[in-house]
Amino acid sequence: METVKIKKITALWIVVVLLLFVVSIILGILMRLNQGEIIHHSPVTFYGNMTTHGLTMIGIWFVAGMAGVNYLMQRYVTVSLWPNMTGLIFTAIGVILLWVSTFIGDFHAGWTFLYPLPFKVMWASWATPMFLCSLTVMGVGWLIWSLGMVMQLLKRYSISQVFAWQHFGKNPKVETPPFVLISMITLVGVIASLLAAVVLLILYFMEFFSNSSFVNDALLMKNLTYFFGHTIANEMLYLGLAVLYELFSEVSGRPKWKTTWYIAVSWNLSLVFILTAFFHHLYMDFVQPEGLQIVGQLASYLASLPAAGVTVFSVIIAVYRTKIKWSLTNLLFFIGVAGWVVGGLGALIDATISNNFVLHNTLWVPAHFHTYNVMGNVLFSLAFFHWFAMQFANNNITERFAKTKLGLLILGGAGFLAVFYLGGAESIPRRYSNYPAEFPSAQVLAYVGAIFATVYLIAILFFFLNISKRCVKIMFSSSS
Amino acid sequence: MQTSILILFLILTGLALLVFVYVFMTSKGAKSSGGGIRNALKKRLWFILILFVLLGFTAWVTISKSPYYLFADEAPSQVIHVASMQFAFVLSNNSIDPDSPKGVSSIELPKNELIEFRVTSLDVNHGFAIYDASNRLIAQTQAMPGYVNRLRWKFTEPGIYHILCLEYCGMAHHGMRASITIK
Ligand code: HEM
Ligand SMILES: [Cu+2]
Repeated sequence: METVKIKKITALWIVVVLLLFVVSIILGILMRLNQGEIIHHSPVTFYGNMTTHGLTMIGIWFVAGMAGVNYLMQRYVTVSLWPNMTGLIFTAIGVILLWVSTFIGDFHAGWTFLYPLPFKVMWASWATPMFLCSLTVMGVGWLIWSLGMVMQLLKRYSISQVFAWQHFGKNPKVETPPFVLISMITLVGVIASLLAAVVLLILYFMEFFSNSSFVNDALLMKNLTYFFGHTIANEMLYLGLAVLYELFSEVSGRPKWKTTWYIAVSWNLSLVFILTAFFHHLYMDFVQPEGLQIVGQLASYLASLPAAGVTVFSVIIAVYRTKIKWSLTNLLFFIGVAGWVVGGLGALIDATISNNFVLHNTLWVPAHFHTYNVMGNVLFSLAFFHWFAMQFANNNITERFAKTKLGLLILGGAGFLAVFYLGGAESIPRRYSNYPAEFPSAQVLAYVGAIFATVYLIAILFFFLNISKRCVKIMFSSSS
Repeated sequence: MQTSILILFLILTGLALLVFVYVFMTSKGAKSSGGGIRNALKKRLWFILILFVLLGFTAWVTISKSPYYLFADEAPSQVIHVASMQFAFVLSNNSIDPDSPKGVSSIELPKNELIEFRVTSLDVNHGFAIYDASNRLIAQTQAMPGYVNRLRWKFTEPGIYHILCLEYCGMAHHGMRASITIK
């Protein structure tokens, strides 16, 4: 029974994520069109859309990763429905609260809601508490979901096994599947970031209810905000990687990947790097202790070693001169890894303090993080969605138009991202609803970005129709 | 600076994408599923080692160029106090009273002298970013309430430099500006 229900809830997650994705992309295109002066929104509308777009995108790709990992976890441990269900209900409530606070209440403090901006009310006064409640609801729901998954893993594996510590030595007696290891590492990061969010929100509410007799420290709040924001945005990509480790070889018709000592070592290390890399968000706060700034640069650099040396390298050697059953699923994974690498290069450049001095909060920032989302993580999740939908399909005609879909996706994505990078190199600021006259190229770049993003949207609509048709069938099928 | 960053990025991206395309082609052309790579572990460890050395070298070269160490051993010839607020910058030679901030939004500064900007905010976070006469971002620091960030800079070219806000601060964020004229 439980497996059937998890199948159905996964199908539901997929439809919801894709639907919200389409809406959020449209908001993104509207922002680009406004920056290109093709349409004219008030700044409040623009920044409201920016807030909705950012937080909705982070939310949906996080839950997409969680839903995928939760579904595949059934292969190794007994999975119960309730954490997943809690995640779903809390996410739904959270998104509704968020959208009411931004679309109706005009809340527009950005998805990072940097303290004390939410308290300088430039919107309906109820919108601030509603936005904070929306975050609280989603945060609590996701915390319960991830803790639930960790508990289920720990019922089957001991602490040292779940982190694959026995693989550090020779000839381990028990094998920890890579999927279990990566899920666990990632969930620990997720839980850490959500706990930081809880602390952050408590501090917000304390100030809110104290009638300003209690005032927070802006530097501490910024550290907490980015520990939460950076970590969750990073971990959602690693959830996608867990799915990749599980499915890539399988759909390619190749032997399953095994945990080796270097996989075990590198994933354990990556947890440390990921949890300390967030300091790179505070490089331009010169009052932050210098040691932490340097930790930020070193951790950001070091995080790329396990990523490139283990995961990317493994994908490369799995493909190199190897006959593979290429399908839409593993093509999406493969292209996604390439996108992830390119975004990572942009990130490494920006994580260098001396570069950050002239790149921080220019369009270089949305350029690189959109790269590993738009052309990386989204593709990992799409690969899972497609694989999931195909699994229960009786016929095999779903691979039609695969080339067209991928072609549009790559063309649209690459063009949309390219103009962000060019904008960053032109020193154009991010988060500007309208560009000042100093940047004559900014409007043109924004307009071109909107056109390419529309091409990307068309590809996504193809995927959406095809996948959700099947998922709806799965949701309403009576038996298995 | 930005141009060389962009070129570096394009080269690295080009190389990475070439590898992916090439590897994909070798798979397309592969006859049997045996093939693959030989001595994979050894090659992997070499790859990681080379990457580690490259990154270590880059860190070693770049960290000392971080803005925290800019002109650290020189004494500034002028101190400019900057108070940021929604949605304006106030600049002054004297320290600024948060209750009644007095100052101007455009100042003149001498060429080739070390200036120290003491940047803070009276409300939310802002960014204090200096753009040169050709609108290229040359230096920045954050303006955070309750803290003072010290940014040292020497202007070498005369002209009009714009200050823009580079931390999202609300609905008129994009209109928040000041200017510096270097003679
Ligand atoms: C083709 C699809 C997309 C389009 C057209 C788009 C467009 C945009 C635009 C125009 C901005 C504002 C940039 C600026 O600062 O001026 C933005 C910000 C952002 N986007 Fe996207 N985006 C897309 C996909 C995604 C995806 C897949 C994610 C996944 C995480 C994402 C996450 C964000 C975030 C977190 C922000 C920052 C919001 C803020 O500054 O508060 N976007 N996007
Ligand atoms: Cu500002």
